[in-house]
Amino acid sequence: MKIHDIINGILIGDRRSIARAISIVEDDEMVIESSEIIKGIYNHTGRAHVIGITGPPGIGKSTMIGRLAKILSDGNNKVSVIAVDASSPFSGGSLLGNRIRMQESLTENGIFMRSLANRGMNGGLSRSTWDAVKILDAAGNDYIIIETVGAGQADLDIVDLADTVIVVLGPGLGDEIQAIKAGIMEIGDIFVVNKMDRDGSFLAMKDIQDSLAMTPQKEWKVPVIGLDSLKGKGYDDLVSEITKHGIFNGSRPDIRLDRFMKEVEMALQAEIRRQYLIEARELLNSKDAIARLSEDKIDPYSAAMKILKSGKAGL
Amino acid sequence: MSGGMYLVDGKNLSLFKDKPIKVLLAKPGIDGHDRGVLVLAKAFRDAGMEVLYAGLLPTPEEVVDTAINEDVDVIALSLLNGAHLTVFRKISELLKKRGIDDIAVVGGGTIPDGDKPKLEKLGITGNYGPGTPLSTIVDHITERASEARAKKMR
Repeated sequence: MKIHDIINGILIGDRRSIARAISIVEDDEMVIESSEIIKGIYNHTGRAHVIGITGPPGIGKSTMIGRLAKILSDGNNKVSVIAVDASSPFSGGSLLGNRIRMQESLTENGIFMRSLANRGMNGGLSRSTWDAVKILDAAGNDYIIIETVGAGQADLDIVDLADTVIVVLGPGLGDEIQAIKAGIMEIGDIFVVNKMDRDGSFLAMKDIQDSLAMTPQKEWKVPVIGLDSLKGKGYDDLVSEITKHGIFNGSRPDIRLDRFMKEVEMALQAEIRRQYLIEARELLNSKDAIARLSEDKIDPYSAAMKILKSGKAGL
Repeated sequence: MSGGMYLVDGKNLSLFKDKPIKVLLAKPGIDGHDRGVLVLAKAFRDAGMEVLYAGLLPTPEEVVDTAINEDVDVIALSLLNGAHLTVFRKISELLKKRGIDDIAVVGGGTIPDGDKPKLEKLGITGNYGPGTPLSTIVDHITERASEARAKKMR
């Protein structure tokens, strides 16, 4: 598939083009192709409501997304889901298991879902998630739901990407909620207590409300919602809070600028990484050049600076 | 490719350097025997692949949809119920109908030797049975994935 066809495909919502485009932005060595795609679609982005979902493992994020995506897609809204899973630090491989828990709801409602491995990036997302969201946005989605890795406290990158961050917690976390409040308790626009059918769920809601009451009041009052995902209870409240928060965001133009700053930073990182991967690695693999540096007794820092300044010609 | 070179402990060649192979494991049809497929999922992950499992009882249509949305390199099918000729063929037909030639399909399970040439004619290779060393399967997937990759880059 040619880049030009992929861009046109994205704009008409063709799934194969969307899927291929996401693979391209996932590929570290295809920065040039990725940037062409993003350039081609950028003017068609900025319409979707991006919802980020984070919380500790096993709390029911995937199940909840299955239900939420279905409800949001009622009334002719287009919804897509991105789920990020962890890559193994030993093999680089990954088991992308979120799909299984939402498969049924996705198939029934024709919802596009894509699994991404975080490929060594900490913070709950993969480097490619930002561009993947742009692609789905340009494809005409009304809502894009992102599920973070779910490592708990450290999944904070979602703040930079999502319009609305939903933190999912559950009964039995008890005092842990106190412990994690420095990280995850600060990023939620909406808090959800899942598994309301279990013992201790009302206590959990109260703990979260207490914890939120101790933080300074902001313009947006953070709601705490109880969900029973088995029976589907509480979802009406959740959807209404998501809609309210979307309207609230509309009154804050500074969000877009913050987002843009983050995107420029990511693009810069990607380009530097590409240069490192392609140009510097070629140099590092060339034993002769490195041997010369070693014979000249040049220290590693100076050698690195030399490579940065003048590339291969410098050696 | 040498046997199992991706499985050397502590020396995985793919770690965040190359684009990992993406593979979809599926048991399409009425077959709940998923122990083998779960063992494979772990072996593929340890070989540095990104692995999706379609869950139990997906339809051929769901398998193909998932493969497209996830843009996988390889679909790895497993059946132990004897319906492989019917169901694997259905999947290869669906792929053809949607104009997809850059996703490789491999098979496995309890497949009689007599059926293997029929499956290969459909482009479904491997067709390994119980007792096959994991490294043989990993190598086969790696080989088919690189063929599929070459087609994607056109």
